[in-house]
Amino acid sequence: MKINKQAKREAKQLFRFCLVNGLLDENRVRNVVQDVIAAGRRDCPAILSHFRRLVRLEIAGRTATVESAAPLPPDLQASIEAGLARRYGPGLSTAFAHRPALIGGMRIQVGSDVYDGSVRAGLAALEQSF
Amino acid sequence: MADLLQEIEAQIAGAKTAVAKQNVGIIRELGDGVAKLEGLSDAMLNEMIDLGNGVTGLVLNLEETDVGVIILGDYTQLEEGGEGRTTGELLQVPVGKGLLGRVVNVLGQPVDGKGPIKSDITYPVEKIAPGIARRRSVDQPVQTGIMPIDAMIPIGRGQRELIIGDRATGKTTICIDTIINQARLNKAAETAGDKAYRPLYCIYVAIGQKQSTVARVIGVLEDAGAMPYTIILDSPASDSAANQYIAPYAGAAMGEWFMDNGMDALIVYDDLSKHAVAYRQVSLVLKRPSGREAYPGDVFYLHSRLLERAARVGEKYGNGSLTALPVIETQAGDVSAYIPTNVISITDGQIYLETDLFYQGVRPAINVGLSVSRVGSAAQLKAMKQVAGQLKGDLAQFRELAAFAQFGSDLDAKTLAQIDRGKRIMEIFKQPQYNPIPVEVQVAVIWAMQNGYLDQVPVERVKEFQTKFTEFLTTRKVDLLAKIEKEKAISDALTADLKTVADEFKQTWK
Repeated sequence: MKINKQAKREAKQLFRFCLVNGLLDENRVRNVVQDVIAAGRRDCPAILSHFRRLVRLEIAGRTATVESAAPLPPDLQASIEAGLARRYGPGLSTAFAHRPALIGGMRIQVGSDVYDGSVRAGLAALEQSF
Repeated sequence: MADLLQEIEAQIAGAKTAVAKQNVGIIRELGDGVAKLEGLSDAMLNEMIDLGNGVTGLVLNLEETDVGVIILGDYTQLEEGGEGRTTGELLQVPVGKGLLGRVVNVLGQPVDGKGPIKSDITYPVEKIAPGIARRRSVDQPVQTGIMPIDAMIPIGRGQRELIIGDRATGKTTICIDTIINQARLNKAAETAGDKAYRPLYCIYVAIGQKQSTVARVIGVLEDAGAMPYTIILDSPASDSAANQYIAPYAGAAMGEWFMDNGMDALIVYDDLSKHAVAYRQVSLVLKRPSGREAYPGDVFYLHSRLLERAARVGEKYGNGSLTALPVIETQAGDVSAYIPTNVISITDGQIYLETDLFYQGVRPAINVGLSVSRVGSAAQLKAMKQVAGQLKGDLAQFRELAAFAQFGSDLDAKTLAQIDRGKRIMEIFKQPQYNPIPVEVQVAVIWAMQNGYLDQVPVERVKEFQTKFTEFLTTRKVDLLAKIEKEKAISDALTADLKTVADEFKQTWK
């Protein structure tokens, strides 16, 4: 879908409206989507498409994905969550996943920041250095 | 043995494993050597991005949610959804004397099959040009070995002289002749053990040229023995637009190394018209807004920041220089097109080549009226200035009178003499390609012409006279040429010597 500059600008304005104290307000997001559809504008799909993208990136930036080769005990999960909250501030949601392909260690992704301490990443770096 | 084990254990205990933070993005769009990545929130402009599979990208666009990256390498190995990582490094190329005699690609990797390049120094491809405090005025000549240029449009070390003209008018030939002449001078100084001579190293950057053309240039330089003083940076027409866009900056980085280390270098950008086209292509694929002729708005800055890197720096900063010879190809002689006017305004003068002159047999086909050197005359050899000072004026008068003479045959003796002189000047300025003339020979020939030794020679035999006179000088009067080269000015004593030699030759010539 071709999204013109005007649609992008309006989507951004709507997105800004959905932020409360720098955090995304889910209710506002839902209301915005309903109101834009109800208005029946011709460029509504373009605006909402870009709006969705902005919301998706914001959610990704506020979500920490913690992958580990073996399931993590609850106390370790709690300490990781606390550490991430210290670094990225409040409002960060954390999802834990079990991924044996990492062989060992852990990989944490928050938005575009990646902390990869897995054995697989180490082996890949070693392979590249050769 | 037990000590060794303890030592290892102690080292393991002391080792700290730290997980470095990486910034990654996902490839969302890919095509024509350009990728758009989502994420990469820490990316910097001109930063290198590791796209995996040994492919590198260069950040050109920083947008709200995307990063526009040009891909340096084989982009067919990448796919949508792939990851890219920031490296925190700017694009760098190897520099140094190890590159002399080699043919390299945009990343400084050898493409001549002569093995790896011996260089452990790298320079960033994009660099801010030297500021005014670092610069000094241009006062040393670049001897091109091309008589009309050295006599009337002199180029100085650190100057930017544009070579402009239609296709097949001899633009590249002028550059190659200049490179060959530098190699000749460098070799002569090395043989004579002349420590005062500052060798001029050359870099030829081929942008969007046919591979066959580049191969021919390499062949010519090898035959002339110029390769040991030359680096060839090849970004042919088959290269991606992104590589062609980077090529002149990579060449400039290689030249800057010589300048920063107190040496002199000459760089030829052949040609910047194709470079502008490559940049237009990259910009359009990156969806940058287009302006006149679909070029992006910063196409002037594209060339100004490149050519500003040519400079002569002060003694405190190494006393080196980088001379630039950018080439621009015009369409049907139109110098008022967008890119030609831009580059004309950036450079310190231009050498304008004309198709008509070329087909009239005036080769090099330099239009002396439209060609100019804005700073080079300060660098011209004094002897050359003395003998060639009036040449431009004489030729201008000749062109005016020749046009007037077409309407009638009744001309006074003075006008006829001026026309005759003009015709003879035009004749002696004709020169075969890849055959640069030493400056001392140029001075002697122009002196003979200015002092009427050619006035009695029929115009059609002027070239023959010049050839024989040059032969006479180089075989029997080497000491006179050496004297001109040493004194660098025409003194009364030297004038007397030149007169004696010219009279002696005139008696033998029939």
